[in-house]
Amino acid sequence: MKPAKFDYVAPTTVDAAVEALVAANGEGKVLAGGQSLLPLLNFRMTRPGVLVDLNGIQGLSFIEPRGDRIAIGALTRHREIEQSPLIASKLPVMAAAMRHVAHLAIRNRGTIGGSLSHADPAAELPMLSLFYGAELSVQGPAGRRIVAAEDFFVDALTNCLEPEEIVVEIEFPMLAYDGWAFEEVARRFGDFALASIAVSVRRGSSTIDNVRIAVMGVADTPLRLKAVEGKFSGVSIDDRTPDRFSELVMSSVSANSDLHASSEYRQHLLGKLAARAMRTALTAKE
Amino acid sequence: MNSDRPAQPLDVLRPRNVGAPIRRTEDPRLLTGRGEYSADRKPDRPLHLAFLRSSQAHARITRIDTAAALASPGVVEVLTAESIVKDFKPVIPFSRMTNYYATPILPLAAGKVRYVGEAVAAVIATSRYLAEDALELIEIDYEPLGAVSRPEFAVTEGAPLLHDAAGTNVLVAREFKKGDVASDSKAAAVRVGGRFEVTRKAPLAMEPRSYTVEYEKRRDAITLYTSSNIPGIVRDAISESLDLPGHRLRVVAPDVGGSFGSKGSLYPEEILICIAARRLRRSLKWTADRLEDISSSSQAFAEIVDAEMGFDANGIAISLQADVIGDVGAYSIYPWTCGLEPVQVVSFLPGPYKIASYRGAVRGVATCKPPTGPYRGVGRPISTFVTERLMDLGAKALGIDPLEIRRRNLVRPEEFPYRIASGIIWDRTGFVECLDAAAETAGYRELRSLQADARKQGRLFGIGIASYAELTGIGSRIAVAPGMPINTGSETAKITIDSTGAITAAFGVASHGQGLETTLAQIVADDLGARFEDVRVIQGDSDEVPMSTGSYASRSAVLGGGAAKHACRILSEKIKRVASHLLEANQDDIEVFGGKAIVLGTDRAVTFRQIAKAVYSDMKTLPVKAREELSATYTYDPINGTTAAATHIAAVEVDPATCFVRIVKYVVAEDCGRIINPLIVDGQVHGGVAQGIGAALFEELVYDDDGQLLSASLIDYVIPSAPEVPNMEVVHVESESGVEGGFRGMGEGGTIGAPAAIANAIADALSPLGIEVSLLPMTPERIFRLMEQAKLKSRGKSR
Repeated sequence: MKPAKFDYVAPTTVDAAVEALVAANGEGKVLAGGQSLLPLLNFRMTRPGVLVDLNGIQGLSFIEPRGDRIAIGALTRHREIEQSPLIASKLPVMAAAMRHVAHLAIRNRGTIGGSLSHADPAAELPMLSLFYGAELSVQGPAGRRIVAAEDFFVDALTNCLEPEEIVVEIEFPMLAYDGWAFEEVARRFGDFALASIAVSVRRGSSTIDNVRIAVMGVADTPLRLKAVEGKFSGVSIDDRTPDRFSELVMSSVSANSDLHASSEYRQHLLGKLAARAMRTALTAKE
Repeated sequence: MNSDRPAQPLDVLRPRNVGAPIRRTEDPRLLTGRGEYSADRKPDRPLHLAFLRSSQAHARITRIDTAAALASPGVVEVLTAESIVKDFKPVIPFSRMTNYYATPILPLAAGKVRYVGEAVAAVIATSRYLAEDALELIEIDYEPLGAVSRPEFAVTEGAPLLHDAAGTNVLVAREFKKGDVASDSKAAAVRVGGRFEVTRKAPLAMEPRSYTVEYEKRRDAITLYTSSNIPGIVRDAISESLDLPGHRLRVVAPDVGGSFGSKGSLYPEEILICIAARRLRRSLKWTADRLEDISSSSQAFAEIVDAEMGFDANGIAISLQADVIGDVGAYSIYPWTCGLEPVQVVSFLPGPYKIASYRGAVRGVATCKPPTGPYRGVGRPISTFVTERLMDLGAKALGIDPLEIRRRNLVRPEEFPYRIASGIIWDRTGFVECLDAAAETAGYRELRSLQADARKQGRLFGIGIASYAELTGIGSRIAVAPGMPINTGSETAKITIDSTGAITAAFGVASHGQGLETTLAQIVADDLGARFEDVRVIQGDSDEVPMSTGSYASRSAVLGGGAAKHACRILSEKIKRVASHLLEANQDDIEVFGGKAIVLGTDRAVTFRQIAKAVYSDMKTLPVKAREELSATYTYDPINGTTAAATHIAAVEVDPATCFVRIVKYVVAEDCGRIINPLIVDGQVHGGVAQGIGAALFEELVYDDDGQLLSASLIDYVIPSAPEVPNMEVVHVESESGVEGGFRGMGEGGTIGAPAAIANAIADALSPLGIEVSLLPMTPERIFRLMEQAKLKSRGKSR
């Protein structure tokens, strides 16, 4: 289990990294935390001609407020996000989700830019980027462009980037809400999710003004459930609300089957998590 | 019975090492990276091996072209079955069993491949990277012969044959019988039964298999450093296969990072690396990667058991019958044969219970998968799962409490030695004592009332009990694997005091995590009268003792410990004889302890160093005849061996939303005889239970019908990690066994009891829904399906 031969470059600027990718002529691969890439290399499932290591680039690791948003540098490690007081107070759903991201050793190395780019359908950060409606700042040969999270994830392990493009930072809007919840079920703590849901709710005394929902583990990409969001805004709140919400969520996805869970079981799990999440979001005192 | 010396006056004063919670002396080096594993050996300019493994489940090899690989950078040699045919004799896993076909063991697949992952060619290069590059250049043409994946399919008429010479896919068939089971079953007040299954499992040691062979040009000799727990068996087998005498073939198991049985058989790669070293006259290294380890190391379990138990109206089990299909994979393993795992299921099915009549039939069936082999517990995790499920089913049918039905059926203290219906004899062991101790520690009555409360709230809370017994430390009267010709019944200890007074105790056993360096030193220190820290234990090195096998089958404390005690007795007499000269005292007045010989009741003493000097380095003090070498060797055979037993009690709660099982309480009451080191005993129980939890809830090797392994990585092969393993309480019922030292083997028991206890607890939790548990692991997916089926059924009824 050794990687096939590759060249290695360690640029110190994003411009140089993009140049290296251009020079690689489609055969380049970006190395950030390496927590997914290195196993793929060792299995020879990916065989880049050039590995472009971003770790020597200064200034890509930060968490900072930017107006009504929080900006996070692409090389920021999961552990820094998990422990950030700013994230805890401004992006609490993300803070709650971070402890589900793999294990400590992996969180110490793995980066947000890497996790988003890898686009695992059962990873937390891609789902959160959809949930928050994040915008990814991407640099390529023609300069920087902004990609909305909802356009970024194309398929399982596939993003919309060109081979020469690198995610450099991500902006997460701070949401207004009265209650929120993050629920996840994995075989073991730290495993990829069998099903997961993030919910936030703005409510009046007896109605839901609007709701925001993202799910993962049940499709080839994480999903923002806009149709359910539409159907659930303006509904009145009663004891049956979580169950109705659960039914709507379940009927809006058709989960995949794999070795760990059949589509029926994933759907069942998602339904249970949805009800639980709505219950939490409605009872939260903010 | 305890065959120790009667207590002497100073015994009461002397600090005892046996029984003391001494920290493992191997741990500082292992935990700080100073251990030395096979892969850590640094021979001079070693070459590196990589194996091309079959992508096909069952296919004829019609062409292998290695030319491009041979021309690849850094490549020294590419070996195939054809190119090494003159370099070895196939190793045959012989057995005297009737109805058994011994599949020869070859280093590389010859003619055809029989499972995905079987080694077909080996590249030898100057680095592993270059070797793996060259693997991609080997061209192989296969002609598919039809995969045989499910064992039920393998036994059908017209299924492709894996071994044409066997004439059948049934590689072994046996039947055990006692009494008239048909008429007893007919007479039973209730009969319970079903089809039970435990799926295939990977032993998954932390260190994958790893071999380094060091070639000594001077005398065409090789030293194989192997991550094996049977270095002695490996030495003898390779010696014969390569026609190389033992003094030119040394096999050493250095630090070994776990085995759980997966390193307890001879492997094709072990033979191949020795062949390559002799051909090339070079040292070589190979370490399996995780994928190779999962897909080519011996695997575990994989049995389907149709079983029925009959009870009389009082809940006494009177009949038991079972038909077992063991999915043994493509080959027998050496030396244990493919009978080891499935035959053990029928041997142990009656368990610790007095069941009058029994019929157990087993077939070991060849499929296109890696061979099954020894795995912690061997056969007994399955036999215990089945028997304990049947006990619970019987209890339910008769309205008897599960604890009570076991109490009525266990062999009682006054009934030992007891021969169970399959023929195994249990010696005096605390069967009932373990049951009672477990129930008391678990607070069994309180658990039942917690359960009643939980059920009122609609929660799924269950309690499961499992009692079992196992044979450990077995001697020469019983073969570890049925009909196997090698001697597994004895072990040798060679204890030497050298000219500096240092004590070295060499053994043929081979610790791969059990802490034998500590426990054997404890025994030697006590029995020789030495200080614990002065005893060095050497093990796993074929140069140290003339013959050995290794550590397996829960034998090392009993056989190694017994050998140590005997050798110490002989050496202690020598020490006393010398001391009596030096101290001018009667030998009977001399006591040896703390590294000194002392004249009882005086302050006259000589140290081991002074004694050694007098014997070896001093030509005047002792008469010539008194200068006996301070060394003793003893080969100990416990003849029958001894029983070990335990009762496990688990309480679980099933979450109806997620279908996850949470273990809320876990208690083990076990009888491992005299405890040498309570820390190590507890550690063995904890680790065994953790693996049993894996078998019960998580671990499963999934092969599809084409024989492809779908769970070949640690993302898909799920083992319990720390959060999934609960705190457990371990109670010791310390009844001394009849063997030397009073020890019993105890390294495997945790894995035997846990699957059954957890299965019973889940079944108990789900019983309000009318769900029974007959298959392990009980994954959330399976529980979900059972709950869905139960819902459909109850809807059908209410209609």
